[in-house]
Amino acid sequence: MKCTYKQVVFSLALATTPLAAFANADVEKLTADPKNWAMQAGDMYNQRYSKLKQVNDSNVNKLQVAWMFSTGVLRGHEGSPLVIGDMMYLHSPFPNKVFAMDLNTNKIVWKYEPKQDPAVIPQMCCDTVNRGLAYGEGKVILQQADSTLVALDAKTGKVVWSVKNGDPKLGAVNTNAPHIFKDKVITGISGGEWGVRGFVAAYNLKDGKMAWKGYSVGPDEEMLIDPNTTTTWADGKVTPVGADSSLKTWKEDQWKIGGGTTWGWYSYDKALNLMYYGTGNPSTWNPAQRPGDNKWSMTIFARDVDTGKAKWVYQMTPYDEWDFDGINEMILADINVKGKATKALVHFDRNGFGYTLDRTNGALLVAEKYDPKVNWATHVDMKSGRPQVVAKYSTAQNGPDVNTKGVCPAALGSKDQQPAAYSPDTKLFYVPTNHVCMDYEPFAVEYTAGQPYVGATLSMYPAPGSHGGMGNFIAWDAGAGKIVYSIPEKFSVWSGALATAGNLVFYGTLEGYIKAIRKSDGKELWKFKTPSGIIGNVFTYEHKGKQYVGVFSGIGGWAGIGMAAGLEKDTDGLGAVGGYRELNQYTDLGGSLTVFAIPGGN
Amino acid sequence: MHRVILAAALACASAAVVLAEDKAGTVKTELYTVVDGYKVDGNTMKGFRTWRAAACDRCHGANQEGLVGPSLIASLKVLTKDEFKTTVVEGRLEKGMVAFKTSQQVMDNLDNLYAYLKGRSDGAITRTKVEELKE
Repeated sequence: MKCTYKQVVFSLALATTPLAAFANADVEKLTADPKNWAMQAGDMYNQRYSKLKQVNDSNVNKLQVAWMFSTGVLRGHEGSPLVIGDMMYLHSPFPNKVFAMDLNTNKIVWKYEPKQDPAVIPQMCCDTVNRGLAYGEGKVILQQADSTLVALDAKTGKVVWSVKNGDPKLGAVNTNAPHIFKDKVITGISGGEWGVRGFVAAYNLKDGKMAWKGYSVGPDEEMLIDPNTTTTWADGKVTPVGADSSLKTWKEDQWKIGGGTTWGWYSYDKALNLMYYGTGNPSTWNPAQRPGDNKWSMTIFARDVDTGKAKWVYQMTPYDEWDFDGINEMILADINVKGKATKALVHFDRNGFGYTLDRTNGALLVAEKYDPKVNWATHVDMKSGRPQVVAKYSTAQNGPDVNTKGVCPAALGSKDQQPAAYSPDTKLFYVPTNHVCMDYEPFAVEYTAGQPYVGATLSMYPAPGSHGGMGNFIAWDAGAGKIVYSIPEKFSVWSGALATAGNLVFYGTLEGYIKAIRKSDGKELWKFKTPSGIIGNVFTYEHKGKQYVGVFSGIGGWAGIGMAAGLEKDTDGLGAVGGYRELNQYTDLGGSLTVFAIPGGN
Repeated sequence: MHRVILAAALACASAAVVLAEDKAGTVKTELYTVVDGYKVDGNTMKGFRTWRAAACDRCHGANQEGLVGPSLIASLKVLTKDEFKTTVVEGRLEKGMVAFKTSQQVMDNLDNLYAYLKGRSDGAITRTKVEELKE
């Protein structure tokens, strides 16, 4: 673990370079130092970019395993560990263990394992994932599956405070990572398939007391929406939403079990004091039971972090008919959009459109398909901001008990929660995607509290008429709305990407490979087969002068092995039957962290 | 008629409970009646509707072949009817199986759900999606 002085000096120099996003004084200081990986996305802008470049396009082929660690848990391992100085904090899926590891000795300093009612496990179908921890002011924050939000003393692992965020008996469980913005811990809720009404809540980092809670749907005051000052994009301009903007778009009381859950990654712009996130599908999956636009499900929210007040909203998929949850991350970047310098928000939605908005006011600037196979809508009308739905792929127009075939993308979206990366060097986005289509048959369901509330049968298969694989890894120009390059992958790319100043982009695959590609042209420079399929996010840090790259492997989640069995034999077509079915030839369950470095003293 | 022959052959091969095949393509047991592999009696149809409404496919797969949860095609060759019912009612929480005792529809249709899934497991029902047999 030796290193040269030159590199130490160089990384110190990098560490002092000011970053754009400052928020919580502690967290902003920690994220400004690229030696740390202090937030799940590395920063508050959700960029997943590191200034480290000791590992770069000229030496990445020398990367080798430095050490490994088993979490002792099967099931899907999403998210990534955090690194703060000499300490690494790791999490696991249910039962949500937390390990604090001293990187000098690789010794576990403390371990925390909450007692949780096993009844939450079935409510987390289709997997008991957890997307990781937050760190701030000496506390490690864990969002448990049973919805309990816990602050642990980072030195000892002792509980500092604990608060109940939802009622798991009603299906309100958690998979998301908590986020620390300013003096608040922000968290959301899962359970869109259990009729849970989504919200985002802010708790004081200091004592766990709730500061505010904003629902996704329902009465204005419960959504923290001001009819006169909260705006949306309508008729080609930024316009106040008006009174009862949500209630007017639901039939009777359906909004009370209306979904719009919030299990994605959040971002924060300190200068605007706004946080950004997306809301999920309206409940149920049978559109016939909820006529109307179902606002504000499937929506990008910008909220004031102090008060929770909604500054602006933009609904991507009004009246969802395909389960295109809008929860995917909002990446904040200052880029040129159609020739104009813009404080942009970039979002790759499940619905297959890549959106670029002005994050100061929610104005819609770009909405283009980031997978050419997307067919459920011809385009997004830029004036109204509404997708133009193709009748033949409308599960609502075809009606309940009719199987609507050949919809692209499938319900898991052209991208799901697996977060993309942005590189300020190239001004491009690096996006892990799914290349999967579906048949979707809605049917009537009745709501029973605490029971599944879905109402559609789906079958999914590789995008027909393409390369036969179920994923692509793409570079995207969000200013123009164009794919710059696209790398076909055999399976969905369900791993979060990492871009680095070393002209590299890293991502993992469902077979279990971690890959490094050259950022500039996508050429594959290195790969390594980890013990299990990768649905975790690649991260990097520096310790004692050496750069490390790490990733959780441990297949599971919606993209997991079992999906193979769900494929309808007669719809496979195109000789792509391989698809997910073949995945079990490459991998099985098992959670571990693999950490890589270039051997020797560099 | 290939499908009919196959269905009958499968049913005979895997299920000792076959009571009668009164005409080509019809499998009739004490649990279910299936014609052409997908036309089923009214109770078995209710079983299918229950399977769908309870969203069993999210864990057991669109074709009951297993996903996060186990294959029911395989499980129902091993589980007794009583064991099946207990599992559905009480769940297997540690393994992620929901306890359906608070779901009225599931509780009212335990026998029908069993008939449908047993028919799938026996190979008598050859398609996931079935239709009601017109008398």
